[in-house]
Amino acid sequence: MKRLNSKGFEMSFTWIFAIVVGISIFIFTFILVSKIMNTGNIASDAKVAKEISILFNPLETGFEEGKTSSFTLASNSRIINNCNTNGNFGRQIISTSQFTLGKWSTANVEVGSLNKYIFSNDVTEGKKFYIFAKPFKFPFKVTDLIYITSASDKYCFINSPENIENELSNLNQANIFVENCSNDNDKILVCFSGSGCDINVRYSNEAGSVLKNGETVYFETDALMYAAIFSNSELYECQVKRLMKRLDLLSQIYIDKVGFSSDSCDSNLNPTLIQLQAYASSAESSGELEQIKTLSKNIDELNDYARCSLW
Amino acid sequence: MVILKKIFPQYRQAQLKIQQMAFVLLAITLFFVLAGMFALMFLTSGLKNSATALEEKNALLIVTKLANSPEFSCGGAYGSDRVNCVDADKVMVLSQKMDIYSEFWGLKDIEVRKVYPEESLVICTFSNYPNCNSIKIKSSTDNNISGKYLENFVTLCKKKQENGVVYDNCDIAKLLVSYNEK
Repeated sequence: MKRLNSKGFEMSFTWIFAIVVGISIFIFTFILVSKIMNTGNIASDAKVAKEISILFNPLETGFEEGKTSSFTLASNSRIINNCNTNGNFGRQIISTSQFTLGKWSTANVEVGSLNKYIFSNDVTEGKKFYIFAKPFKFPFKVTDLIYITSASDKYCFINSPENIENELSNLNQANIFVENCSNDNDKILVCFSGSGCDINVRYSNEAGSVLKNGETVYFETDALMYAAIFSNSELYECQVKRLMKRLDLLSQIYIDKVGFSSDSCDSNLNPTLIQLQAYASSAESSGELEQIKTLSKNIDELNDYARCSLW
Repeated sequence: MVILKKIFPQYRQAQLKIQQMAFVLLAITLFFVLAGMFALMFLTSGLKNSATALEEKNALLIVTKLANSPEFSCGGAYGSDRVNCVDADKVMVLSQKMDIYSEFWGLKDIEVRKVYPEESLVICTFSNYPNCNSIKIKSSTDNNISGKYLENFVTLCKKKQENGVVYDNCDIAKLLVSYNEK
């Protein structure tokens, strides 16, 4: 570079060439490094999502009524819960997004699972999460429902029936309160009588409806009541449809079992099981659960009095 | 070109410098490309190992709980509620439905094998059941479960009838599962 006078410099072609190519290399390297970092983030998100999905396996209950556990992630994270009803079982879809270098990673990788039913808000944010599982019996055990809540979301159950209060107290989950919590402003209020709370539950004899964010969903059994409380309505309806698909297939297994074991022990449950299967396969929303529950109660009684019970 | 060099002798020198610089820049670019490729390779190989480790972890956790899933479990069909009890009739039916359940648990093979009394392996079919000792619920090969597999002890129960009397017949068995390696 040559100094022309006090006002400026003359630049040789060599310098211009070096600067242009140098900048190009810098940009190229920057893009490459950011792409690698992005791939690393996506891989990390996918790994976390898969790990979360695997973490739910030990929650499969035997005959106990409810189980709670917790897990803590390395950084502040979002668990994105989704569901679809395609295929024989539908699919549970989990993806995660982590807060790294001052921004949320894009939740690109979805981890799917056919045998899990997870209920939560569509996005649950935090570092520590509580998971609570409860078997869903309709009338036989269909699966275990899993509820995820962030430790930062505190739920307060007001005027809950005694059985619910006892169950929640025994669970001892740190973000669920059943007593003396109505004055706390940062808690999500779940009311079993009255209105004006964040979540309003109409509960009678293990059935009823849940009003949340202006939308009403219906439940039968306590397991589905918790599901309706802890999830948004769209996810709840999707999971209910998936549960009915599983009920349909399990009914078929029991129908075939009756036929298969009729030599040693006949049980007269097939006509009602076929009816249950038909109801389950045609169920489109939680509003149809009531009639399926009525039938499932009849089947359960028949099973109890059968010479050989099926389940 | 020749005329240019004659008129401007510094032209040749500049061309040489540009060439030198081009080589240096090319070397730097190549270095970064290679470094990037190496980093990418390192990342993907780590991912592959992680995926296999996660599959193993998944299978390990599933095998301990699979017997309690509704498609396998005895429930209350054999008297009181039993944990880790597999209903033989149910899994025989299930083995015929693997077109529907093939991806359900994300496992490669699932088999229930009686361990006592110790006899030569007889795979259950609808024609020889219950005079057999191994129910292949999901099978990727015709041979015995092979490769990396995990096992858990379970009770295998079915109803039997003798002289008009129905009774519960339970055997000690192993639930074997294998998983896909990435």
